Amino acid sequence: MGLDPNSRARFNLKDASVLLLDETQLGMTILVQIVTGLGAKNLHRCGDIESARSAVENNQIDLAIVDSLAATGQGYDFVEWLRRDAGEPNCYTPVLMTTSHTPRSQISRARDCGANIIIKKPFPPITVLERIIWSSKEGRKFLFSDTYVGPDRRFRNVGPPKGEKGRRREDFTATPLPQGQATADEDASADIEGGPELSGD
Amino acid sequence: MSTARFTVPKLNLTQLLKAPGGLPVQEAVAAAQANLSSLKPLCMGELHTLLEAAEKTFAGLSGYDEAGVTTLYETAVKGIGLGDVCGAGSVDVALHSLCDLLDHFRTHQRYDAEAVSVHLQAWRLLISTEIPPAGAQAVLGGLNRVSAKYSAPAES
Repeated sequence: MGLDPNSRARFNLKDASVLLLDETQLGMTILVQIVTGLGAKNLHRCGDIESARSAVENNQIDLAIVDSLAATGQGYDFVEWLRRDAGEPNCYTPVLMTTSHTPRSQISRARDCGANIIIKKPFPPITVLERIIWSSKEGRKFLFSDTYVGPDRRFRNVGPPKGEKGRRREDFTATPLPQGQATADEDASADIEGGPELSGD
Repeated sequence: MSTARFTVPKLNLTQLLKAPGGLPVQEAVAAAQANLSSLKPLCMGELHTLLEAAEKTFAGLSGYDEAGVTTLYETAVKGIGLGDVCGAGSVDVALHSLCDLLDHFRTHQRYDAEAVSVHLQAWRLLISTEIPPAGAQAVLGGLNRVSAKYSAPAES
């Protein structure tokens, strides 16, 4: 995912409508300083879930950077609501979830809420930009199911787990990777950065 | 049996990022970094305020108390990320270790005042003193070992 910080490649966030959710004033200030430095101008600053929902209901959101709100984990609830109930096009909005610390009891919520990626604090601006660019890539499937709504957490189809019989049509054609390369499970956990440990950069 | 449906959405962000104009990566990252640098005094001030609040909460705890441990967790977690902005990144690691410790306490309903105390002392040391990287690493290694010790339930 590495992006060269000295790259002269250009990107344009000027017209993107960006939702920021962080309950602490300083946390919000840090986010604002990063995204405005990266060129974003159209910001919806939300200090709680209610104002974030209202921003989604009244605007098209192109990118959301949402804090998990570690103490309560309400940030996960917000993303789940966005995916399930916000309707098109906002349900597909790329979501970068930021987290200071993930309590053990919230690890599965973090994995299953439907965020595109999780970034652990502290995060330098280059990391935020890398993740924005990565999340904006089209072609990634989006899944609606009873238990999960969000970007497909699998990156490559390498067939069913070792020793298991595949249940999907594609399982019959998947070619196993050479030994030593990542497995589907490892790739899926890399999606939620660092998997259950939610490691940062 | 559950049903699943896949779609491949068109993202507005993809088109916007490619729009003419914009900023070179190098320039944008430098601007964002400069913006963050202006927050150094604010972040350092907030770390001191949070530390004082944490010490006050800690002083009122005499054993496992769900509400007290939660308050301490909520205070410590607010500080994570501020250290990096004000050039004291090791504070973030210390606070993460403290949050791990407090989370273990809540999970297993245990408490050890010494383990909390050593984290708060390290917090104060790491924001107040310029200690060499090797020294900071040694402190952080010690903190992580302390919090890891409480990751499993107490042996009865």
